[in-house]
Amino acid sequence: MKISYNWLKNFVDFDLKPEELCKILTFLGIETSIVGGGTNWTGVITAKVLEKQKHTNADKLSVCKVNDGTKDYQIVCGAPNVDVGQIIPLAKVGAVLPGNFVIKSSKIRGVCSEGMICSEEELGLKESSYGIMILPKDTPLGKKIEEVLGELDIFLEIEITTNRGDCLSHWGVAREIAAKLQKIPILPALKKLKYTEKNLVEIKNKDLCTRYIGCNITDVKIGPSPKWMRDKLESCGVKTINNVVDITNYVMLELGQPLHAFDATTLSGGKVIVRMAKKGEKIAALDGKTHELDEDSLVIADSSKALAIAGIIGGQNSSINESTTEVFLESAVFNSGSVRRTARKLNISTDASYRYERGTSWEVAEMASWRALNLIMELAGGRLKAREDYNSPNNKKAVISLRVERIEKLLGYTIDKEDIANILRFLGMEISSRIQNTFIVEVPSYRNDINEEVDLIEEIARVYGYEKIPTSIDFGATLLEQKYSNKVIKTITNSLVGLGFCETINYSFAEIKDLDKLFLSYTYKIANPISKENEVLRPSLLPGLMKNYFFNIGQANTDIKLFEVGKIFDDKGERRVLGVLMSGPVWQPWWMWESSKQNPVFDFYFASGVVSNILPSKEFMIAENKNPAKYYHPGKVAAIVYHGKVVGHFGVLRPDIVDSKDEVIYVEIEVENIEKNYKNKIQTYEHIARFPAVKRDISIVADKNIKFEKIEKIIKHIMKDGGILKEWSLFSVYESEKLGVGKISYSFRLTYRDNTKTLKDEEVNKDVAILLEKWKKDLGIYLRN
Amino acid sequence: MNNKINEMLNEALKKLQTAELIDIENIKVEYLGKKGKITEILKKLSSLAIEEKKEIGSCINMAKIQLIQAMEAKKKEITNKLLEEKMKSEKIDISQSFAFNFPKGHYHVISKTIEEMSDIFISLGFDVSCGQEIETEWYNFEALNIPKDHPARDTQDTFYLENSQNLLRTQTSAAQIHIMEEQKPPIKVIVPGRVYRNEATDSSHSAIFHQIEGLVVDEDITFAQLKGTLQLFINRLFNQEVTIRFRPSHFQFTEPSAEVDMECVFCRGKGCRICKGSGWIEVLGCGMVHPNVFKAVKYDSEKYTGYAFGLGVERFVMLKYGIDDMRVLYENDLRVLRQF
Repeated sequence: MKISYNWLKNFVDFDLKPEELCKILTFLGIETSIVGGGTNWTGVITAKVLEKQKHTNADKLSVCKVNDGTKDYQIVCGAPNVDVGQIIPLAKVGAVLPGNFVIKSSKIRGVCSEGMICSEEELGLKESSYGIMILPKDTPLGKKIEEVLGELDIFLEIEITTNRGDCLSHWGVAREIAAKLQKIPILPALKKLKYTEKNLVEIKNKDLCTRYIGCNITDVKIGPSPKWMRDKLESCGVKTINNVVDITNYVMLELGQPLHAFDATTLSGGKVIVRMAKKGEKIAALDGKTHELDEDSLVIADSSKALAIAGIIGGQNSSINESTTEVFLESAVFNSGSVRRTARKLNISTDASYRYERGTSWEVAEMASWRALNLIMELAGGRLKAREDYNSPNNKKAVISLRVERIEKLLGYTIDKEDIANILRFLGMEISSRIQNTFIVEVPSYRNDINEEVDLIEEIARVYGYEKIPTSIDFGATLLEQKYSNKVIKTITNSLVGLGFCETINYSFAEIKDLDKLFLSYTYKIANPISKENEVLRPSLLPGLMKNYFFNIGQANTDIKLFEVGKIFDDKGERRVLGVLMSGPVWQPWWMWESSKQNPVFDFYFASGVVSNILPSKEFMIAENKNPAKYYHPGKVAAIVYHGKVVGHFGVLRPDIVDSKDEVIYVEIEVENIEKNYKNKIQTYEHIARFPAVKRDISIVADKNIKFEKIEKIIKHIMKDGGILKEWSLFSVYESEKLGVGKISYSFRLTYRDNTKTLKDEEVNKDVAILLEKWKKDLGIYLRN
Repeated sequence: MNNKINEMLNEALKKLQTAELIDIENIKVEYLGKKGKITEILKKLSSLAIEEKKEIGSCINMAKIQLIQAMEAKKKEITNKLLEEKMKSEKIDISQSFAFNFPKGHYHVISKTIEEMSDIFISLGFDVSCGQEIETEWYNFEALNIPKDHPARDTQDTFYLENSQNLLRTQTSAAQIHIMEEQKPPIKVIVPGRVYRNEATDSSHSAIFHQIEGLVVDEDITFAQLKGTLQLFINRLFNQEVTIRFRPSHFQFTEPSAEVDMECVFCRGKGCRICKGSGWIEVLGCGMVHPNVFKAVKYDSEKYTGYAFGLGVERFVMLKYGIDDMRVLYENDLRVLRQF
């Protein structure tokens, strides 16, 4: 909200520079900054327009000759209201306008311009203005503009937190300043008039309208409001309309209470009715739109139709116009939740609804009503014909007890009791009694944010100053066991990073069309997405990683090694999983590779090496994937098993979804589940033998349809017997016609070692022979020549 | 006799001076071999008288030792020289070294920052939880003292799920309630995680971002401790004494509430582009847990007090690394991922 520095001074006597004021308010919890006004320029003087001619090259521009009393200037001006004889503010060459805008001599469409004629907006005097600023005819020429404008206002932008609706006015902000400076805020003088009590209002929903003051004013003369009022409204960004409407807005900016004025002659039935709208009831509102209402919306109506949407916006039919002579003035308190619901439903936000949503005060409603009446009498004539005031019996001030020791318990420091009492008093609270260390505090009705003891404690801390609270540290508040763990996830991701993988962070959303391409279905759909991208929650990390894959391929980043740890959402609920995507060269080509060897590219087996590297223990197994996801190549997919349970899967993606000659491998691991069930076995030390090892390379030929697993099992069987075969690795897989149809060759490197002595060749040969014999007997495998 | 031996020795040593590796072997054979010149003399010793035998014998032995040592020294000299020459010829162009980049992996800068922040809190005794992202109105709003039709809901446009009352959490504070429901005080936990806001994405807004929530509840937790903890956190994060200030603010689930600004670490409070000239950067929101929140989780708000805080991770990341467009963080361009 925009407020005026000078206007604030009407309500509290202070002697603070605008910058100091901003700081004080900001440290009271109202973020305040200077947004305009003041003398934010140099080099602007008064001058008179002597001649005006149309620019030969531009329809909307005119070329003016202006004089500052000693010298003529040629100025190109675009304002439609510039005219001969006017005294205007002239920014000469070298002048600096708000926003560090330096005026230079320039050619505009071929015509020289030696400065600029300024508008109020350009000088930062108003939020917006029409055309150039025109000064009074008797203004002397050649004077600095700041000398002739008198005292200039400063405009402040304040940000009010949702609980402080009471600060949405000058008086409200002034109260805060007064509380900090320990001064009494000043209220405008209110003259209560005599009136006839008459039944003007009927309230059908007393829970939604807790106060309603209606005034019938006759003999009103509608016209423009005086300049001082228009200036104030405009400088706060409020459009001026006519004296009565301007007064309602003025009082709202002054006291914070929204008011509404109806043309009383348009009311049929002689009184207003506050009721719920009928379903489908329509109203043509002041925003130029016709709104359709429902039974949840509160309206102000007469006997035949709705006149206004309560607390939100008035109707066109009953609005004040030039011919209005009789005014019905409303000052009311509406339920904030109800106003908010209706305003949201109709998608309207007005100055009134903004304030009602944050809560208004039954006390201020009365003050505002009198204040507006006084101003109408003063500025538009008129006579108070009748008045009715409905005030709900529930309208009472909150009474709260405040224990001094509670302040200390919460804040961790002690404030002197007298200081506490003073702070409360200057905040407008009344201390009705004081029993030992307990204050009984009566809260003014405009502070609807203060409902309990803790709210008062905040007030005290806030006004006293957060900076005065000392700092301390609560070491060791918990010596609890670590309840949550990320250790397994961390082990896995650390390995991935070590292997050269980069972590990505994707949105948790997916588009249905992207899921379709991956044969994925969704469980959770967003009810109110703002774009297609946010349609559903991702059921897998694959869609995001695929997006990253295509994006990076498009950016010519071809070595794809990505992973993400994030939540997925499917019929089993939400949980964290790890997704890994790899494709393309494993690393950049290396010049030391023999020319015959190609730079390795990710395939299923290389990926399985990555998988076994990152898994945290040897208890994880790779197994047949009996029910693979449809996005996998059905022949190149596996499951990851931990203690008999499937905890992940990996494989090559179907070629038709990746659109590339390189295979793309995806891995998904249920890391959250693993984390929960992971048993961290402590690895016991295994004695190592100091005797030399003997290595043997052997190549064998097997039937292709024998699963490798079976071949491996025999090696492991021989190792298990505590024999001398200690390690093995597969270093070549080879298929060729030379081997015979349906044959495949594997080359193993076997490592032999005896824990008690140096091995002799014969011993190793004997062991190799045993292995070969078993292979031959069980699987028909023989040694390759 | 002795002279003859010395002559022989000198002759051998002379030969050694110009010898190559192969010559040394020949010299060895010529003098010390089975039929070598020195060996021959030794053979003749047996025919001499004891006195003579002794004298000449020791002379020969000395010569022999001298020759062997000289040969070894020469051998060493030559092999050293050869090795030096070989290594010299093997000199590689080290400026070529970083032309092979063994691929380096990277954590995302957001996770890295969360990790960094979490580590500080862990060192202060906090546990780390992650909470859930699909929430109910109760956990995300009502239990946090944000009733229906409260304007505080405006500031957080919410994603709702179809065919259910559930929503995507708009703040990690939702996890506070779960944690307090699950355990009794003392509680000292942080919750890093994703939150969702239904708003259009641009350079400074994103429908998803990350927060770190903190919650401490016990019998004597005070605002002063909140101040102390956050001061320590900021100091450690920036590895220097950073001036921070607490400004009164409002959050429905804390009372009193504060926003924390830190003195701009880039200009030391003088005012720069990053702090928009103010010298201060708003970094987090915090406060003392509202009694209504305790009520929602059936804690005795007379007995227990607590503080909570929440900070936006992306904000810190963007500030720290000078990232001017938030979207870069979720695009996952490898050229960006590899920078951090």
